[in-house]
Amino acid sequence: MKTNRRAFLQSAVALGGAALISHSPARAADQPLMSIARWSGDENAPMMEVAEKLTVEAIKAIGGLEPFIKKGGTVWVKPNIGWDRVPEQAANTHPGVVKALVRLCYEAGAGKVKVGDNPCNDIRKSYGNSGIEAAAKEAGAEVVYLDRNRFREMEIGGKRLSSIPVYPDIYESDLVISVPVAKHHSSTRVTLCMKNYMGVVENRKKFHQDLPYCIADLTRFMKPRISVLDATRILMDHGPTGGDLNDVKILRTVAAGTDIVALDAFGAELLGNNPEHIGTIRVGAEYGLGVIQYKTLNPKEVTAA
Amino acid sequence: MMRIRRPRSWMQWLRRISQAFFLILFIGLAVSVRLGDPTVPGWGPRFFFDMDPLTAAATALAARTMEVIAWPAVALVIATMILGRFFCGWVCPLGTAHTLVSALRPRKPKAADNHRTPWHRVKYAVLVGLLVMALFGVHWTGVFDPIPLMFRSLTAFVLPGAQYGIEDSATAVYQADPHVGPVRATWVTEPVYQFFRNWVFQGDRQVLDGGVFIAFWFLLILGFNFWKPRFWCRYICPLGGMLGLLARKPLLRLRTDEQRCTGCGLCAMACPAAAQPDMPGKWLPSECYGCWNCVAACSRGGVNFSFAKQEDGRRPAVGEVDFSRRAALGSAVAGAIAVTGFRQSPQAQEVVYNPWLIRPPGALPEREFLQRCIQCGLCMRVCPTQALHPCSLEAGIEGLWTPRLIPKVGYCEYNCTLCGQVCPTGAIQPLTVEAKHQVRLGLAMFNRNRCLPYAYDRNCIICEEHCPVPDKAIYFVEEEVTLRDGSTTLLKRPHVDPDKCIGCGICEWSCVFRDEAAVRVTSANESRNSNNQPILPGGSGDSPY
Repeated sequence: MKTNRRAFLQSAVALGGAALISHSPARAADQPLMSIARWSGDENAPMMEVAEKLTVEAIKAIGGLEPFIKKGGTVWVKPNIGWDRVPEQAANTHPGVVKALVRLCYEAGAGKVKVGDNPCNDIRKSYGNSGIEAAAKEAGAEVVYLDRNRFREMEIGGKRLSSIPVYPDIYESDLVISVPVAKHHSSTRVTLCMKNYMGVVENRKKFHQDLPYCIADLTRFMKPRISVLDATRILMDHGPTGGDLNDVKILRTVAAGTDIVALDAFGAELLGNNPEHIGTIRVGAEYGLGVIQYKTLNPKEVTAA
Repeated sequence: MMRIRRPRSWMQWLRRISQAFFLILFIGLAVSVRLGDPTVPGWGPRFFFDMDPLTAAATALAARTMEVIAWPAVALVIATMILGRFFCGWVCPLGTAHTLVSALRPRKPKAADNHRTPWHRVKYAVLVGLLVMALFGVHWTGVFDPIPLMFRSLTAFVLPGAQYGIEDSATAVYQADPHVGPVRATWVTEPVYQFFRNWVFQGDRQVLDGGVFIAFWFLLILGFNFWKPRFWCRYICPLGGMLGLLARKPLLRLRTDEQRCTGCGLCAMACPAAAQPDMPGKWLPSECYGCWNCVAACSRGGVNFSFAKQEDGRRPAVGEVDFSRRAALGSAVAGAIAVTGFRQSPQAQEVVYNPWLIRPPGALPEREFLQRCIQCGLCMRVCPTQALHPCSLEAGIEGLWTPRLIPKVGYCEYNCTLCGQVCPTGAIQPLTVEAKHQVRLGLAMFNRNRCLPYAYDRNCIICEEHCPVPDKAIYFVEEEVTLRDGSTTLLKRPHVDPDKCIGCGICEWSCVFRDEAAVRVTSANESRNSNNQPILPGGSGDSPY
């Protein structure tokens, strides 16, 4: 085909227009902002199956992923794959949740779903032992080993953090879904959807001197639109690393929602905390990122079996 | 001036193909150990080490065990007695590197340059000296042995250097993004970069402490090729010396056809080994690499290799090895003196221990470890977190280039056992994951003049978060402190439980300080050394007061 300037401009306008039109149809006003899916089926069902079904139900209950996903666009599913631990140890997001979420993204029209994190332990061992690499690939995701040469210093304009090296591919995705596991954390007491964003940056060690504000700064920069909380099994103590099965509590629960603060407040309660006492949640609310009283959102409670 | 004909011989080309094959295989094995399943090392990384009779002999002497002698080394010894030093000419990857550098020489040598000199004895002296040292437990052959030398140079210099060059160049282009209209330089650089990232390097760049010295040694011996072709192989190489002694009377010998030979000396000019192919009856099988250059250089077919006997029923006469009993004795004495010299330090005699000498998990007690380690760098290459680095003098001269863990650069991954799986001599024992969890490499200590909650009244405890021990070797106590403005705050101040700490070093690695961590691991309490365990196990005792 011959391309001249006119044809090029025409196609550019057409493509741009198509992109505008297909971008995120507005969510109906009556859709719930938050959902909680609990398992009502067989207690002995394999956790992989439980996690997948719960995720499907939780997403269905908030009205599906279509309103969030640009047709043909890129979605970055951001689990917590921080540690060289196996799924039973509850240190990483359950692979079943990731797998179901990847599939749902494709079903909602995503062109490409990428899965990746910036682990604390060795990346190959963390991706492997967490079971997430295999599960995500099975669902058709591209599993990305973050490239240390490609982080880019970005102005994030926070109260504590003015700029930080961010992984550009994540930030520039059409949608980023934070999908952590609910865990105890020795510094912040809990680690949930907001803190999960620490896996998209480098030079994060100094965050620990003021985690609530650093995490809230980063969360605001990432503009979360939907998050999923894996509470299929949660880590009650010795977090965020865990390793002792006695610290793991089986809950068979997955929550989803548009309000990241509310989801974190729900997760904090599961972990036995008053959300009002959790720094990250308090600062998140202070920043206007969401509400702590998640029950005011009337979360839709569903079951899966 | 006489023109040297371009050599032509199919055996010479076969030899070149063989050299290329083994060099590529060697580099391929070094690359492959970091690819694939992160719990299993790549295929066959030990192959070349198992084939090395010098490593086998010296390790057997030093560790006093026959178990380190693998059958490929025995096979090579037998093959050398029949075929001569073909290993040097056809297989040795370092020899091939020397061949390649020698080819860059601007001037071809004269025939007289390739006759034997007294300096050719040096390699036998090095061999005898090193074996005597091994007998006394100083295992230093790895510094000179071409297989460990080459592998170590790849690990510490060539491969990390290549990765550095490719990644930083491509990243610079990526960031600058030079383009002419819509044509971008990254269209070329990015696919190349991604290919190397996904298929060759796969993983974070390695950069080894002390790598410059290994690079220096490697480049120095390569540079000597400009003085004499294959300088290292002629004069220094102890493996070449060992194979030379085995090849004094091989079955495959060079024969001179007196009818055809004009004594022109072209064969000697082509000889990289100073094997004197131009001197019938004085050809030196102990020097010859069997490279076929001399055969190819002679347009008249005056020399050739043959198993056949002469008309008189005997094989062609050969030159003798020039290494007297007196020279051997002198080398042995020099080796013994070197041993005592190497040991003249309180650390070498185990009066004290170096706090920063942290050995890999599964390493034998220091003396036994040094009797086996051949400084090959395979453990460093395979380490996923680049925790292992070559010692400079941390383990004494004796322990030059043996592995040590530098936690600030990389910590020991809790579930990883790769170094013990690949170690070719058992200096690092293979461990199961369960057994490895019980091994203590050292003990963490806090520097309270640095650690944020102590020194600067700020919260941190990133070390406690990273501690992989399920019930946490690092714990914290909440303390109320008064700040500068008179207000009070709660701080989590970390402590180490010496009964639980395994010395993996992830606390030091994760510490926010990047110059000197506020929590550091020293070798104290290491499982392998009961004399370096100051802590009485079982918690704090009853008060004696």
